[in-house]
Amino acid sequence: MKWKLITPFITFFAVLLVQITVIPLIAIAGVIPDLVLITLVYYSISRDQFYGTVLGASYGFFIDLITGSLLGSSMLSKTIAGFTAGYFSTETKKEINISTYIFSLIVFICALIDSIIFSFFSAFDVQTNIFKLLFGQALLPSLYTAIVSILFIFSPFKRRKF
Amino acid sequence: MFRFLSKVWTNFREYIALVLLILLSLIILSQNKNPNVQKVRAIAFGSFATITSVISDIFSVTNLKRENEELRETNAKLMLQISRLREFGIVNKELKDLLAFKDTTGFPLIPASIVSRSLSMTQNTITLNAGKKDSVLPGMPVINDKGFIGIVSSVSENFSIARTLNNVDLRLTVIDERSRINGILKWTGEELIIINIPNTFDVEAGDRIITSDVSSIVPIPIPVGIVEEFSPGETGVFSYIRVKPFADLTPVENVFILAKVKSKQIDNLEFNFYRQQ
Repeated sequence: MKWKLITPFITFFAVLLVQITVIPLIAIAGVIPDLVLITLVYYSISRDQFYGTVLGASYGFFIDLITGSLLGSSMLSKTIAGFTAGYFSTETKKEINISTYIFSLIVFICALIDSIIFSFFSAFDVQTNIFKLLFGQALLPSLYTAIVSILFIFSPFKRRKF
Repeated sequence: MFRFLSKVWTNFREYIALVLLILLSLIILSQNKNPNVQKVRAIAFGSFATITSVISDIFSVTNLKRENEELRETNAKLMLQISRLREFGIVNKELKDLLAFKDTTGFPLIPASIVSRSLSMTQNTITLNAGKKDSVLPGMPVINDKGFIGIVSSVSENFSIARTLNNVDLRLTVIDERSRINGILKWTGEELIIINIPNTFDVEAGDRIITSDVSSIVPIPIPVGIVEEFSPGETGVFSYIRVKPFADLTPVENVFILAKVKSKQIDNLEFNFYRQQ
């Protein structure tokens, strides 16, 4: 039971480490995939919606603390992303939602929600062109994240029993 | 009552958790400037940066050869520039001595390496492996050989976080080197623009932009970028000025922290001046 609680956090810190050191090297025009979000979506689907919401808040809080972004902004966006991912956590479809391309689609939806909320709180002002903001900071990173999440579908460790 | 609450919790716990956590996030958002929060943040990123610096070192080794070549080239160019500047320096000193001006050059530089970068395009930050132990303070400018990179925002014992030019929270007072027009430089999330400069002001594409003397955070002129586009703004009053930064933030690995924050004496003078108004 304890191990079940600790694993998502150990995974998170390992993923965050890769995210802030290695992932910037594969940035395309400043757009980077969000590995933390992929991890969050995986745990939200494999556990349940409540767990996903709480885990999203925790992940977001730690990201804000460690990366120096506006404290609370990632926490808010990841909470809602975790909650959304949790919708796909029905007992009968867990396996399908994680093992097929549906996973990438869920990641795309959650990343889009996450990016929109984060951009709104961190970059929005009256002079901002909302369509440009949504395209550059929400749609493109979400697409990149969804594409990277395809690799996860083929990875061996997600095949464990939930 | 307890059974009712228990039933509500069982049926709606996801929604209750969502609402409570959103409220908590909003409360935390409003506490960003709180000194205690800043302290907790310093401890958190300081601890994590210790680990990231190890990984960052491994990756930076692969880039050393390329960086060495670039540095050799920069060195040669700088050598030529220095010999020219040395002559100017001698004349400058003589003129300053004649006018009894104080010497304001010679700021100490603290070398630092970037150990990690943030996830966000709008809130771009870098973590540097220099902290309080190296006399780094919040507010110090971060530069490299090309120009301005950012401003130190949080400091822990061994590490510091700097907001880069690609951070919406960093607004910098800059000046057009040719026409001496001041403006505010900001990152919109996609581009660097100078705001609040009327259409009628003399700014042209190709003008060099440097940090302004009137800046409340950067004490000396540091090259920032070049005006890439200048056109009348959509509002009709203010112009649209897009700036291309000299320092490309993506490949930067080694930087310098200018060990100088704006003088407290100046701040106090300005504060007293405004208080008297």
